[in-house]
Amino acid sequence: MNFQDQENLKALFGKFISAEEAENALEDIQKGEQILCEHPAPEPSSELIASIKGETAKVLRGRQANAFRRAVYRTAAVAAAFIVAAVVGVNLFEKGSARSERLISQAIWESDNIAADDTNLATLIAEAEQLEGEMMALQLGETGGNGHRDLLELEMELVEIDSEFWKG
Amino acid sequence: MAEDSDLVQIINGCKAGKAESFEKLIDIYAKRCYGYFCRLTGSQTTADDLLSELFVKLVGKINSYKGGSFESWLFKIASNVFHDCLRQKQQQAKLAEVRKKQVEREIKGAKKSTDERVDELQIQLEKLDGDTKEVIMLRFYSQLSFKEIARMRAEPIGTTLAKVHRGLKKLRKLME
Repeated sequence: MNFQDQENLKALFGKFISAEEAENALEDIQKGEQILCEHPAPEPSSELIASIKGETAKVLRGRQANAFRRAVYRTAAVAAAFIVAAVVGVNLFEKGSARSERLISQAIWESDNIAADDTNLATLIAEAEQLEGEMMALQLGETGGNGHRDLLELEMELVEIDSEFWKG
Repeated sequence: MAEDSDLVQIINGCKAGKAESFEKLIDIYAKRCYGYFCRLTGSQTTADDLLSELFVKLVGKINSYKGGSFESWLFKIASNVFHDCLRQKQQQAKLAEVRKKQVEREIKGAKKSTDERVDELQIQLEKLDGDTKEVIMLRFYSQLSFKEIARMRAEPIGTTLAKVHRGLKKLRKLME
């Protein structure tokens, strides 16, 4: 046998035992290893070697298939994530535009006569104009009677209309 | 034995998953590893299984080899494969108390099938204690230095030297 070690066995033994004992130990080792060389162990049959080669090749193919499958899954997952992100992004953009259109319709936005387009708004404007007229009349003392009390009632009515309007 | 540069190339091929590189590795080391298993178990049938297990394991572990002595790395795995087998057989022995003695004989390699050749050396090797036999076989088949063997076995070099010396001296006397 051609041992890898280039170590000087005599010197190595010399660290632990006397020089004479080291000499004997070295001889024991060399003769013992000689016996091992003279009695070689059985060798693996060619069928066994072929079978092992076949088995390792099979394991390798399995590992390569798994690696390929993992790469495909990873790519598919990244692609799916990208597609989902793109779809969600486009939907959000479209919804954003649609929502702003619903809040203020194109017709109302472009109209010059808002009261004509929205009946609620027209009613409110009419009521406000009526109240304005009544207040003017009260201020000018056209109604007669208790002007201050009438003015308070009118203001309360105005506040009530205003709150009801914003409640919807 | 392959030159260092050839071996590096083969190992790189194995790491790249090339079947032919594994075949080369098997061609280089199968004989030595088989001898190691045969002498430790005393059974060619068990050695067949262990050799197969070793190289299949190697396919999964080859990427964990980060340089240094390949023989040291390989025989460390071989030693683990042998000890796993030993543990497995010991567990079987615990489960089947009735067959205990028979299984122990199998572990020691005393029980041989009729088609297996038992040489004089194997008979005398069985007379050594398990640890001594293992370190002698590791030294002989891995061809590692005492320093490397001591490092692999995590023991002082003096202990490795003493075990190999005592074991080989005893073996020599037994063989005379």
